[in-house]
Amino acid sequence: MKKNNDWLDHSYDTNNIKSCITKIKEQFGQQFSDSQSIREQHTHTMTIHKSELPDGVLFADTKDDVAKAVKICNQYGCPIIPFAVGSSFEGHLNAPFGGLSIDINNMNKIIEVYHEDLSVVVQPGVTREDLNTHLRDTGLFFPIDPGANASLGGMASTRASGTNAVRYGTMKDNVISIEAVMANGEIIKTSNRAKKSSAGYDLTRLMVGSEGTLGIITEITLKLHGIPEKIAGGRVSFPNVKDAADAVIMTIQSGIPVARIELLDKNQVKSCNNYSKLDLPEEPMLLVEFHGSESSVKEQSELFGEIASDNSGKDYIWTADNDERNKLWKARHDAYWANMSFRPGTEMYATDVCVPISKLSECIVETIEDLEKNNIVGPLAGHAGDGNFHVSLMIDTNKKEELSKLDPFLDRLSERAIRMEGTCTGEHGIGQGKRKYMYKELGNTVDFMKDIKKAFDPNLIMNPGKLFL
Amino acid sequence: MSVLDKNIEVSDQNFDYNKEDALNALKKEFGQQYSSSKSVREQHTDTTTIHTSKLPDGVVFAENEGDVKRTIEICNQYKCPIIPFGVGSSLEGHVNALYGGVSIDLNNMNKILNVSPEDSFAVVQPGVTREQLNTYLRDTGLFFPIDPGANASLGGMSATNASGTNAVRYGTMKDNVISLRVVMPNGEIVKTANKAKKSAAGYDLTRLMVGSEGTLGIITEITLKLYGIPEVIAGGRVTFSSIRDATEAVIMVIQSGIPVARIELLDEEQVKACNAYSKLDLPEEPLLLLEFHGSESSVKEQSELFSEIATDFGGSNFEWTSNNEQRNKLWKARHDAYYATKSSKPDLEYIATDVCVPISRLSECIMETQEDLKKYNLYGHIVGHVGDGNFHVQLMVNPKDKNEINVLNTFLDRLSKRAINMDGTCTGEHGIGQGKKQYLIDELGSSVNFMKRIKSTLDPNNIMNPGKVF
Repeated sequence: MKKNNDWLDHSYDTNNIKSCITKIKEQFGQQFSDSQSIREQHTHTMTIHKSELPDGVLFADTKDDVAKAVKICNQYGCPIIPFAVGSSFEGHLNAPFGGLSIDINNMNKIIEVYHEDLSVVVQPGVTREDLNTHLRDTGLFFPIDPGANASLGGMASTRASGTNAVRYGTMKDNVISIEAVMANGEIIKTSNRAKKSSAGYDLTRLMVGSEGTLGIITEITLKLHGIPEKIAGGRVSFPNVKDAADAVIMTIQSGIPVARIELLDKNQVKSCNNYSKLDLPEEPMLLVEFHGSESSVKEQSELFGEIASDNSGKDYIWTADNDERNKLWKARHDAYWANMSFRPGTEMYATDVCVPISKLSECIVETIEDLEKNNIVGPLAGHAGDGNFHVSLMIDTNKKEELSKLDPFLDRLSERAIRMEGTCTGEHGIGQGKRKYMYKELGNTVDFMKDIKKAFDPNLIMNPGKLFL
Repeated sequence: MSVLDKNIEVSDQNFDYNKEDALNALKKEFGQQYSSSKSVREQHTDTTTIHTSKLPDGVVFAENEGDVKRTIEICNQYKCPIIPFGVGSSLEGHVNALYGGVSIDLNNMNKILNVSPEDSFAVVQPGVTREQLNTYLRDTGLFFPIDPGANASLGGMSATNASGTNAVRYGTMKDNVISLRVVMPNGEIVKTANKAKKSAAGYDLTRLMVGSEGTLGIITEITLKLYGIPEVIAGGRVTFSSIRDATEAVIMVIQSGIPVARIELLDEEQVKACNAYSKLDLPEEPLLLLEFHGSESSVKEQSELFSEIATDFGGSNFEWTSNNEQRNKLWKARHDAYYATKSSKPDLEYIATDVCVPISRLSECIMETQEDLKKYNLYGHIVGHVGDGNFHVQLMVNPKDKNEINVLNTFLDRLSKRAINMDGTCTGEHGIGQGKKQYLIDELGSSVNFMKRIKSTLDPNNIMNPGKVF
């Protein structure tokens, strides 16, 4: 088998990087900073990976700024790390080889909304909440919701999704076209604005999920959707994860166009009960959301109720009233905060895997057993309609033996998902943290990814140390 | 100045490969599975375009992935072009052997390997056709929706990113392929993804292979999404006095979030031809045909909502039904459109082309195209998957009339450029093949350099379907 590891020998010349940073400073003046505090703000702190600071930060205002900086960096072989809000989970924004962080938060214009075409062109620093606020009066919305108020550039780069991917897909399904500055400074547009195209290789989907390793996104054309006439929500408990997962499978098979279907394990319910002062049965729970007309959400809610009760679901309630729905969903909405306070004095480490839905209950059950056996606290919540779930590991980082249990657990989790024909990450991405699983999951396919990387970025300047080992 | 980077070469070279040695090696390796007879070679070129058919030098009938791998290895060794072949229903010369070489016929790789009803996916070999898959699925309550018209192979549909009438609801091949196994140009076998419904692990090689038209590797296994067969299917038909009214109704339907499963437009000329062929008496005006999928009450609601919208835009004679036979009658004009066009000029040859534009530009694009047909005195009908902004022109031409072929080329050139100028694409579903290579550059400029970088790094000898896409 071809081994494509020659770039492990690639080294980044610190003198060249220094010269490059000096040059950038000269060229960009006030738009550049190398103060310690700014550099610290531009590394990643949401993971167990240590922060690795860039040598400087450029605040780009335009794509021409980005292109100019990339050209200079390419000339000096200086690493570049694109940065927006910093909400990624796998160390994507760390600067393991130093270099330049390019902050694109000032590129936050909504360039044009095409009402008739249900599309919008935005700059990468626009966040999903900014976009939806802007769209408020149009009757349209952008559905993808990874939880955090992430930037759309970052979401495209990590192929983000979230709770409603079961209905609206992931970023790969909702990006129509991308404009990007490539490693040689060229600006390309991956596609025109037609809804579909069979013209040439799908560079759009190649850029989506490439984690800043192929180029820097400077403009994104996104699909929009009509705001549903009615939104209904529901909640139901199950005696075990298998019954809950079976209900999910049957819901999908029946073609109910469920908009969200979230599974909380009993620990997650416990955590939510504590935090949100609820008294939900401490059993696996499904939360559902339905979008459609008045009569359609009613039909969907009732059909789902039948399926739930066929699978031993208990206490199913649903509502088409917004306030009531928010109450029903409170446990899910507060899950992140609940976990943060579930075990005071600990840090949260979030991870995700995704398996074919037929394997979901098996994967979750084994994972819960693993947590119990190793005495690790980790409530579990999942976008069950996609076979995707998260474990929020609450780790006391001051306790070495606790910290030492984390990596082996993560290894077992990823390997379990891969063994079940799933993936080590459904939505967080590879970043630094999951590089070691890439060959396990995809074998020699990774070599071809590396070939593409080298063909696009021969000097390996674009976000080095991510995706590939 | 050309936007293309001369340093990134995907050669359109003359392949002076050692034909005799390559073909002997293949013959020796494959025996009865190899043929170089004229008639077999003739069956393996594309005849549905104005491009001259060029025969491959030989044909390998692959039975399994190992055969594909060995064929590619031998071809790579001799730098011999290799052209994957399914049912040969592509429309842009994709299976033509421009530089000779070997056609690899995948029709014997037609096994359905696995169906997982719980996961709603099927694993198939590339030679399985879409009708074969749906026949096989009949008792499972599931179906594979993508329907390009022809009973194409699923390998070919993946390779061209095919779609069709129901893409408006179910997407295109890119939305429905979960994972692929592919033999790469160096003979390595890769799996582009596992079978999870979504993944954020690495570059999306699945989508890179989908639509790559056999230029990056040969697909040997496909994992496809399946869907529950809708409880009820309703159909509808309505006439509009102008293309603009019809497309505005379509835009409103999409905006209202009606999950329409098909929404097809036939222009006046197409309706005329259908009336003649299928013995109908539809008003000779733009016609929309609809299909709704869902529960009994949902399709009723959708049909009624649609009817209100159609009325608002001056639609007349709206009819709908949830009875299957009645629906087939309503849709007869669309089902027979291809034959209607063909038989309206039996002495001429049929040429199909497609473009796709943002839906806000659709009526403008169609009307300018109709004017062009008149201006150039070409005989053509327009039928479109209008929910996606995608439409076809079905032309009848005399290939022996040089003058007419020149005019046709001018018309096609203007059509692609018109779509591109409207921020659309020169092809929504047929692909680039031989016919649209220049328009790919017009459309995407320096992006093509990066496509070529991928091509030349993955296939340095340019053996995979050379002369297509670039």
